[in-house]
Amino acid sequence: MIEPLRISFVVRCSPDHAFDTWTGRASSWWPPEHTVSHERGASIVFEPRPGGRIFERTPAGTEIEWGQIVDWDRPRRLRYLWHIATDPKHATDVEIVFREMPDASTRVEIEHGGWDRLGEIGQSWRDANHAGWDGVLPSYKEDAELRS
Amino acid sequence: MKLKANKGDPFDALGNSHRREIVELLAHRPRSVQEIADRLPISRPAVSRHLSVLNRAGLVSDEHVGARRMYRLEEQGAEAARRYLEHVWGNVGVRFKLFAENTTAPRRRS
Repeated sequence: MIEPLRISFVVRCSPDHAFDTWTGRASSWWPPEHTVSHERGASIVFEPRPGGRIFERTPAGTEIEWGQIVDWDRPRRLRYLWHIATDPKHATDVEIVFREMPDASTRVEIEHGGWDRLGEIGQSWRDANHAGWDGVLPSYKEDAELRS
Repeated sequence: MKLKANKGDPFDALGNSHRREIVELLAHRPRSVQEIADRLPISRPAVSRHLSVLNRAGLVSDEHVGARRMYRLEEQGAEAARRYLEHVWGNVGVRFKLFAENTTAPRRRS
């Protein structure tokens, strides 16, 4: 089994605000290079209910699906299927827990799993590559000596 | 979550669109340099140079099959993909944190 990715960090705000920022204002903070269209002004929508869609809407109005809400438990927990830039049948699982800390800050715990569903290694490779390589590592410039 | 641009680092090796295309081609099956060059708009020597970078990063290996040298994706490719996604999530997390903390009054320890 391929281990899930686990990332966590603390934000200095309430779980309510953290949850609402994640789901309601992704257009403002989601790294633009991780969108599918790479277009300026694309908005990111989380439909606030189980079964709701997660999608990007380009300024021209095209909607590109990224995933589907599985669990919407504001402000504690959010789960969704995630297939940004890949086939929905290769969706992986994202779970985000917003845990209130004693000092009123919030620990955001992200777990991204379900990799085994992708089957062979090549598949996960391709998915990873398609997930936004082209814009994600701007510091990794073309190596002049290797340019053909 | 920082990424280091080491020589031989898989991320460095994959920071090039032709090398990513080579990896995708090899994800299907092992191929020779010529087979790869046939599918990309670059020369055979250029393909060889890209393969050597991918090899140093531990992403591809080669073996002789008869008279041909065949290149294949290494097993730890999945692990490299995982590290890539870790980077993506780290990036997402940093931006989220900055935005969330700057759109509300930070709470102080009472």
